[in-house]
Amino acid sequence: MERLPRGRHGLSPEFVALNQRERLFAALAESLYERGYEETTVAMIGKRAGVSKSDFYKRFESKDACFIAAYDDAVERIRRELLSACDGRRLWEDRMLSALAALLDFLVAEPARARLVLVEGLRAGKGVYDRYQEALQSFVPDLREGAPAPAGGSRPPEATDEAVVGGIASLLARRLLAGEMEPLGDFLPEIGEFALTPYLGAAEARRIISER
Amino acid sequence: MQGSAAIMDILGAMSPGSQPARAQRFTGPAQHELPREFVALHKRRRITDAIAELTAEQGYEATKIGDIVRRAGVARKTLYDNFEGKEEVFLTAFDAAAEDVIGRVEEVCAEAEGDWEERVEAGLSAFLAYVAEEPAQARMCMVEAMSATPAATRRYEDAVQFFVELTGRHVPHSDQLPETMEETLVGGVAWIVHQKIRRHEAEQAMDLLPELAEFMLAPYRSVAGVGRGRVNA
Repeated sequence: MERLPRGRHGLSPEFVALNQRERLFAALAESLYERGYEETTVAMIGKRAGVSKSDFYKRFESKDACFIAAYDDAVERIRRELLSACDGRRLWEDRMLSALAALLDFLVAEPARARLVLVEGLRAGKGVYDRYQEALQSFVPDLREGAPAPAGGSRPPEATDEAVVGGIASLLARRLLAGEMEPLGDFLPEIGEFALTPYLGAAEARRIISER
Repeated sequence: MQGSAAIMDILGAMSPGSQPARAQRFTGPAQHELPREFVALHKRRRITDAIAELTAEQGYEATKIGDIVRRAGVARKTLYDNFEGKEEVFLTAFDAAAEDVIGRVEEVCAEAEGDWEERVEAGLSAFLAYVAEEPAQARMCMVEAMSATPAATRRYEDAVQFFVELTGRHVPHSDQLPETMEETLVGGVAWIVHQKIRRHEAEQAMDLLPELAEFMLAPYRSVAGVGRGRVNA
């Protein structure tokens, strides 16, 4: 993100604050991506964002506070992408596959934020885990809404919805941990089939995926 | 003298969770000399059991060496004679627990009578039974290990990988199924169990069996050509 011009610029303080926050979030995610949480310092984040240490502390109490805020911001971005991808799609399976495609696009375009949410969320410990869990759980009702039952079967139990979300998150996190960024976009047919199977049956899920 | 201390150690080791070395002391004259290695092994075991309990109760980070030696009823020096420090204690405890659960699951999968569905369900059942019987170990491996240290995270991933491959050995194969199917299924099961443990409901892990078995089996039924229908609850 571009720095704002120095000196008098006539920009409102709110605008500057928002811009600084966004720059700090991006800088934090990039530092974590490169160095990991422990090694990332406030000075490092500030330098990368072009924000002075004193300005950093005007916005956030600590590295932890910035981390949590950046985490929430990244989850919110993902949420927006997924919801807008589903917009106007009537069939549940279309919504599901569009959302997954949007998720993969986001992760490929934003590798630092991808790692922040999926890897650090579960592994950084203190305080973040609850955010990670909430983030995953927040997608469960969206998945459940309008979900069909396989032909001749009944609607899968609720734990299945959570297992589908958790299984996808786990696979993507493992790939991110292994540093395999590039092929992430190729996973759509695989995770799509995994996600549709409990609701449509394996054969129907496969048919839908192969037709796309 | 050494003999009585050794017996105390073993008594402590045999009753995990109890306050060791506080029970009745043996003061009688006739005592067996227990082999040194036996004593050393039990002390190590008490130390690793202690870290499992403590991390389950208060988390890895909050657990200090002082807590571990107090809980294990050993001298600080004993811990440092056996381990480099807290991380090595934790990793040793993790490895012991992982070996235990992996051994159990592998065994029941191999011994289960019947078709692949029964083998997978037996393996899942053994896994959930372990979580229910050993909630502290389960919490250490599935919750604490993820954020303890980078080496612990790798151990966790290795264990997941083992279950991915084990599942792959027992389910029907078909190039119609995605290559990552086992990985997403195992990841999904792990996530559900993980949440159960976080909610302090590990003891009820077996309740998850019908749902998770159905979740794991469904994708393979269409390629196995054995439509057995839903698993009975």
